[in-house]
Amino acid sequence: MPPAPVAADDDIDDARAAADGDRRAFQRLYRRHVDRIHGALYRLAGYDHARAEDLTQEAFVRAWQKLPGFRHESAFGTWLYRLAINVALMELRARRADPVGFVDEEQLPEHGETPFCAAEREELERAIGKLPPRARAVLVLHDVEGWRHEEIGNELDMAVGTSKAQLHRARQFLRKVLGETP
Amino acid sequence: MNEFEWRQQMRSLRQPVAPRRDLWGAIDAALEARDDDAAAAPAARHASRQPWLLAAALAGAFLLAGSIGLRLHRDAGTVTGNAPALTNAPAPWNPSDPRLSGAAIELDAARLELQQAIQQSPHSPALQRLLARTERQQTQLRQLVHEAG
Repeated sequence: MPPAPVAADDDIDDARAAADGDRRAFQRLYRRHVDRIHGALYRLAGYDHARAEDLTQEAFVRAWQKLPGFRHESAFGTWLYRLAINVALMELRARRADPVGFVDEEQLPEHGETPFCAAEREELERAIGKLPPRARAVLVLHDVEGWRHEEIGNELDMAVGTSKAQLHRARQFLRKVLGETP
Repeated sequence: MNEFEWRQQMRSLRQPVAPRRDLWGAIDAALEARDDDAAAAPAARHASRQPWLLAAALAGAFLLAGSIGLRLHRDAGTVTGNAPALTNAPAPWNPSDPRLSGAAIELDAARLELQQAIQQSPHSPALQRLLARTERQQTQLRQLVHEAG
């Protein structure tokens, strides 16, 4: 489920101008949306700053190229968010990242305390970062971004059942890391 | 932690995160580079396609003119060898000869096309070279015809 659009009216004008080649309008769109887009990509990239920044950059370049085809049937923010997620998932698919594998028990980080202060949140983020890329994508898209399994299955080219199974195992892993009994 | 608390906790991760550095400079540079590529591509395609088309047309004309010229040259040698008394005779141009007029027309058309192309792309060395070569071929053809009598 894409997040609510930001400054939709301004976005419409700027998106139209940017589609006509106005780089300043595109820069305004970038400024308004970069943190939200980068946040989503940062989570999908397993909290890896460098990769998230590369993906963010690629997403905005791709958006510039595709803007002339944007029909304003959805909010610009929604369109951009979806495009950015696709950029991240395309990279995931291109890397043929570990489709079914899971983290070895021995690789689990030490148990933490009961969440949820800032430190524990950081611990949770670290644990998400340790998930295999596809399992992490399923968990982030479903539990954090609010996507449905059908959407995830479509985007990641996997069956709905596989998506559910990946989510279940990812949650188990995280609960274990966080010191909970599943 | 129950399911509801879990979901709440996970959703709370959904926060905007600013990149550690401003990415706009890199994005702007990438857009600039792509725009330049996009602008250069059609011009490059046009420039590269035009000489190839011209070269293909000219190659045919050169081959035709060359073969005719060679034959005329041989004929001239034969005539010269057999009848030296005729070497100083005037060499009238015979426009009715279809081989000669065909080659001359091809070369003339090629020259005109090249001149038009040069008007559009005045700084193209390839076009200049092709034009010079075509004009040389025309001169050679005239000389050969003249020699063949």
